[in-house]
Amino acid sequence: MTREETLDRLRDLQTRVRELRQASDNPAIERTMQLLDLYCHMARWELGDVRTMNAETES
Amino acid sequence: MHLYKPEVEKQKFWNPHTQTMPRAELDQLHLRKLQTAIEYAYARSPMYRKLLDRHHVRPEQIRTLDDFVKRLPFIDKKEILDAQAVGPPFGDALAIPEDFFHQRFATSGSTGAPLHIPLTYHSAELWGESWVYLYWAAGLRARHSFYFPFNWGIFAAFWSAYMGVRRLGATVISGGGLDSKARLRQIEQYRPDVMLATPTYALYLGETAREMGVDLAKTSISTVIVSGEPGGSIPATRHAIEELWGARCYELYGIAEIGPTNPGCPMQEGVHLCEDWYQALIVDESGNPVEPGEVGEHIVTSYIQDGQPLIKYRTHDLVRRAERPCGCGTTWAYYPGGVLGRTDHMIIVKGVNVYPAAVEALLHRVAGLSEHYELHVDRDATNDFVTVKAEARPEIDAARYAELGRDAESVFKSVIGVSIDVAVQAPSSLPRYELKAKRFFDHRPAAHRWQLARRSGS
Repeated sequence: MTREETLDRLRDLQTRVRELRQASDNPAIERTMQLLDLYCHMARWELGDVRTMNAETES
Repeated sequence: MHLYKPEVEKQKFWNPHTQTMPRAELDQLHLRKLQTAIEYAYARSPMYRKLLDRHHVRPEQIRTLDDFVKRLPFIDKKEILDAQAVGPPFGDALAIPEDFFHQRFATSGSTGAPLHIPLTYHSAELWGESWVYLYWAAGLRARHSFYFPFNWGIFAAFWSAYMGVRRLGATVISGGGLDSKARLRQIEQYRPDVMLATPTYALYLGETAREMGVDLAKTSISTVIVSGEPGGSIPATRHAIEELWGARCYELYGIAEIGPTNPGCPMQEGVHLCEDWYQALIVDESGNPVEPGEVGEHIVTSYIQDGQPLIKYRTHDLVRRAERPCGCGTTWAYYPGGVLGRTDHMIIVKGVNVYPAAVEALLHRVAGLSEHYELHVDRDATNDFVTVKAEARPEIDAARYAELGRDAESVFKSVIGVSIDVAVQAPSSLPRYELKAKRFFDHRPAAHRWQLARRSGS
């Protein structure tokens, strides 16, 4: 898979993770989605897709 | 079932995308990361806002790497301590709400007040990741187990290495709360593949093993990773560790307040800058970048510390960036020999800079001397002078100590070109350390030390 294809999938995944984080009223799910958001942000940095310092300041 | 796909496990680099990126692209990426980090720090850290305002710089004025080098001020430990003192523990240095804290560390405060280090989950993961570049390059994978003969306290020390093992997906075995003998028994019992320690402690365990009648070369340890003090990139020290343990020895150079900045090169002669998560400059006494190949102070910017940002941080470590690649295949900056000394440990004997790491390397050339030594510096009216106290190996007769001392003095004179007195000591007469060893003893007049500190900005 190319870098661009990987990044497209990551961005799409991150959007859906954030939607679920917002929608959920279960603390366990909210925390898990927050960590998934963090890992998506980290993976994008690893591929040079740099927008913000951390996931929290991106959303 | 595998954690990594077999074809992925064979990859040479942890992140081939950036580890093989051409320099021009890597620098462009650094510029974007630096701009992001500066904008973040300016918006959230009162310490950085005040610092930049005081220097009349705004984040949007950093448009090129040259702007970053010339316009942005350095920051030193003292300024962070001052910012933390505003509202302890973190005061004006903090850039994130406490909700996001994951772990707190502090330095020992041996040279003043302790520096407090807040880590978020984000920064803890990335401190860990910075180790994984070394683990992966050294051939370590999820199936390996890592032994930590380390007491898990408030000092950052090997915590980040532990975070790295978790990030890799490998196994942690803790030797916390045990003495050295119990740790060696644990190694025999649990059969870990990797041991992480300071070079001094890795060698000290050899003395303990001799007392117990244990041959470390016959244990399960096949890789020793050293950190916390120079040694892993000093060939003689590394060879001594490798011989003792019958293992390959690698190094990681890190700084408590900023993290594991430089994973060792798999070729073992030096360290790389972890360019995914750090940017570095190497500067002279005036703060101007030195040419590749020249020694200068390591100035580091972290892309990791979102809790307490550190941009253009003065480490006071002396390093040299190689003019040519090391040969391992990465395009990341390479520092042969790792850390060469400290700006505040600068010794000038008759106009010649003497680096403590060079002294250590040369001591190992003298057969009969052990790896335990102390370097004492004093000063007469015009000159520094150095005395090395070095322990003899246990098998050496005390009648030969004077001769050994003369041998060492002659090696120093012929290689560095200056006279250094060597006093050979009996085995086990110098103190032993589990973490950083104290090797450097500065007896020079306080006024002279302050002058050196001012020159180096500390």
